[in-house]
Amino acid sequence: MRILRFVGRRLLQLIPVLLGVVVLTFLLVRVLPGDPIRSILGPNATEADAEAARVRFGLDQPIWKQFLDYLGGLVTGDFGTSIQSGASVTGEMALRLGPTLELVVIAVTIAVLLAIWLGIWSARRADRFGDHSVRIFALFGNSIPEFWLGLVLILVGYAALGWFPAPSGRVDPDTDLTPLTGADLIDALLTGNGPAIGSAAAHLVLPVLTLVIGVLAPLLRSVRASALEVLRSEAYAAAAAHGLPERTLLRGYLRRATLVRLPSLAALVFGTALGSTVLVEYVFSWQGFGQWALRGLLYRDYPVVQASVLIIAFAYVLVFLIADVVHAWLDPRVKI
Amino acid sequence: MPSETSTREQAVTMLDIQDLSVVIHRPGRQVAALSNVSFSVAPGEVVGLVGESGGGKSMVARAIVGMLPSGSHATGRVGFDGADVLRMDAADLAAHRGRGAAICFQNPRGALSPTRTVGRQLIDRLVTHQEMTGERARETAKELFESVGIRNPARRLEAYPHELSGGMAQRVMISLATGCAPGLLIADEPTTGLDVTLTREILRQFRHAADTDGRGVLLISHDLASIAEVCDRVVVLYAGTVVETGPAAKVLREPAHPYTRALLRSVPDVGGGRVVATAGGMPLMTAAPHDCPFAPRCAHAGDDCRSTRPETTALEPGWSLACFHPQQAPLAEATSGEPTKADTRIGDVVLKIEDAHVVYRSRFGSGGHHALRGVSLELKTGETLGVVGESGCGKSTLAKLIMGLVEPSEGSVEVAGKSVKKQSRAERTRAQMVFQDPIGSLSPRRTVGDSIAEPLRAAKVSTAERAKKTEAALARMELDGSILTRLPHELSGGQAQRIGIARALVGQPDLIVFDEPTSALDVTVQAQILDVIADVAADAGHGSVFISHDLATVRGFADRVVVLYLGRVVEEGPVDEVFDRPKHPYTRALLGSAPRLGETRTAAVQLVKDLDEADAATGCALAARCPFVTDTCRSQEQTLQSYGESRAACWRVPELPALIEKS
Repeated sequence: MRILRFVGRRLLQLIPVLLGVVVLTFLLVRVLPGDPIRSILGPNATEADAEAARVRFGLDQPIWKQFLDYLGGLVTGDFGTSIQSGASVTGEMALRLGPTLELVVIAVTIAVLLAIWLGIWSARRADRFGDHSVRIFALFGNSIPEFWLGLVLILVGYAALGWFPAPSGRVDPDTDLTPLTGADLIDALLTGNGPAIGSAAAHLVLPVLTLVIGVLAPLLRSVRASALEVLRSEAYAAAAAHGLPERTLLRGYLRRATLVRLPSLAALVFGTALGSTVLVEYVFSWQGFGQWALRGLLYRDYPVVQASVLIIAFAYVLVFLIADVVHAWLDPRVKI
Repeated sequence: MPSETSTREQAVTMLDIQDLSVVIHRPGRQVAALSNVSFSVAPGEVVGLVGESGGGKSMVARAIVGMLPSGSHATGRVGFDGADVLRMDAADLAAHRGRGAAICFQNPRGALSPTRTVGRQLIDRLVTHQEMTGERARETAKELFESVGIRNPARRLEAYPHELSGGMAQRVMISLATGCAPGLLIADEPTTGLDVTLTREILRQFRHAADTDGRGVLLISHDLASIAEVCDRVVVLYAGTVVETGPAAKVLREPAHPYTRALLRSVPDVGGGRVVATAGGMPLMTAAPHDCPFAPRCAHAGDDCRSTRPETTALEPGWSLACFHPQQAPLAEATSGEPTKADTRIGDVVLKIEDAHVVYRSRFGSGGHHALRGVSLELKTGETLGVVGESGCGKSTLAKLIMGLVEPSEGSVEVAGKSVKKQSRAERTRAQMVFQDPIGSLSPRRTVGDSIAEPLRAAKVSTAERAKKTEAALARMELDGSILTRLPHELSGGQAQRIGIARALVGQPDLIVFDEPTSALDVTVQAQILDVIADVAADAGHGSVFISHDLATVRGFADRVVVLYLGRVVEEGPVDEVFDRPKHPYTRALLGSAPRLGETRTAAVQLVKDLDEADAATGCALAARCPFVTDTCRSQEQTLQSYGESRAACWRVPELPALIEKS
């Protein structure tokens, strides 16, 4: 009950945060140098053509009028019309968000589970060979640029070994997958399309691996550090001095106490991963949200930039809310 | 009372430590933590292991469960039921820990896992060591909680450690250790930080474990006087060596080793005996000593003490010590010198508190914690006011109130005739405070000289004048000028507290508040600091407020004493009157629980619950815990009334002696 009230309160707080984001991005994209109309019309367009285009996208209106129109649209779920494509931003975004979320959620989930397991394993062997190799491996993964790592994985996994499909999309078009959410693996599961499940999963392996290796290090370090802290704590020593068996110690006294600090870091990593998938998407021709937002920004496509910033902000706030609830659930000392 | 145990020598011993030495090697240094320690514990016997910090008490405990710190090298033998703990392999050690010997850790809050309910933690032990499962383990856990005095055990099983009070956490810790069904129960400083009323109760639990379950109990403490009552024998450690071993009653009344005598004399006695300080501190051994380690501090030391280490010799069967010059005079004689309380001139009023209430508001408006409920006090220069009570009674809030760190929600506080609220920065320096944590209360990045001059800087005293005054304050604390450039982490606890007192004194304030100034210090150091404070408090120039949960320290030098309970003054009066002829049932209970040297104490009044279980409803605040409660007490608020020289907030005072007789 307390948790529900806490969630409700936090969701209410979401309103002013998002409102602030809306105002800020709306103003900032307009302050940026560059003109969206010029960039889509090309060098040969006349002044009259440009003027006509401006009228068509409502850019001839005073700023406050544009803002009110935009806000009015938002309330009804309309993010505006893309200047580049002339299509509805809402529709484009729905198509792009699914694949990226699928990628990031799977990657971060795997990274968190792996970090918990490896971090505790490593802390229990602190300063021994296994511990050192795990840490060096994590640091190594953290230091490699993601696009390069992606390329290497393609070279090895596709070109040399041939285990995984070419980096040419998210699912084999021959499988006739009916798109529902945009996340292909989920669509395939929902429609029970057997060949599509296999194809989507195979396409996911390499990009997910790239992201996992990229974000594992900070999570792993954090888990290892707090596991070490717990192992050296008086409470753990007391449990050990009372002769409790290893298994009970690990499950009851080490694991939960270690995980207490992880949720907020995991939320941060999730947010970063969401923003930084652009390069991974590019390398793997993953027609996703990151690429779409990047192109919008390059062409000064105001509605697209506004919508993508808003979505990223929304995702951040939501993920941190989840992290806080998980934290409160893990740590009985936290009051919410 | 412990039974006479000199006949127990022949009984089977469970723990038998022979010639145990532990040397810890650390990069760049080496510490001889224990040197040739030998003693034993039999089943059903309670043995006290006594000494100051650094004496090696905890190291003994760790050696017994085979958890010596890394880098340590142990020689000798830690015999346990025939096996040697030092030579056990991993499997034997796992079986030995818990089932063989289980430790009750010092600081139970920290030793309980914060993310697991205490019930689960207890059931883990039951499952591991008593092969119980499911429902049966739960039932047993409930019974164990009940047996250590936890009310409402079913509900407490679901509690997390942070939801427990200090006393409750200690009870849980004891139940965890006994839940392992150990042959030997080791308690590491089980009563440090607990109130007197609770200390007795907790110690009784250990005696109970020995008497009813036949466990051996090793009770580790720095306070010989308070544990002696439940112990059969005591072992006194100094600098990693055993200096005296003997029956508890004998060692307590006629200690033979000069260190044991120093230890006992350093503890102030609630009966009014004055402490005798022993100069110096415990040395840090780098190798097993070749002389008597206590010789530099010993009044009886001769050349033999400084050149050879005394062998442990038997004085009587079961009583042995390592000393060339055993003392025989009973201890009481040495302390019988009546405290000569200087007749100080009582002057102007420096502190006046009228009907002060303090409420700590909770974060979201409604409710809050009522820390002080209508306290009125007056203090004149040259006077010392003692404030006593259990933790949570509002002592520290009172200190903060006087210093202007919290504002009264009702009532007024005046220091030197001026309301604390309206004081300027310079005027604030007229009241000074000496804190509980000596090192923590000094800024870690400031030199000692800077720290001492702090109040002077606030009062805008010139640099030259500052240096002169700092020097004078330092001289009064008998500290060398070279200490001025040092930083707090380079100081010992005793030195740091002298600095704290010097800082309070330097600006010649009107009022000094001592907030538990000695509770974080070692026993012999505590005696030295109490000496200093007694001297400072006797100054005619300022008034002093001395706050302590330890009644005996207050008795030493306070003129008047107030007893606080749940934010109210329940009794006040001249110190001898309150201590010798207490009126209020609460004061009687407090005094009855305080340890007295060489006496068997019988508490006339036993409170029926722990403080945290007593909810303050209407009527007398003590109603929930008072054994003499009537319906009148529950419905009527009690106010202070005069009874002889002192005042108490209880309407049944005249009937109490008769009531106590009856019970």
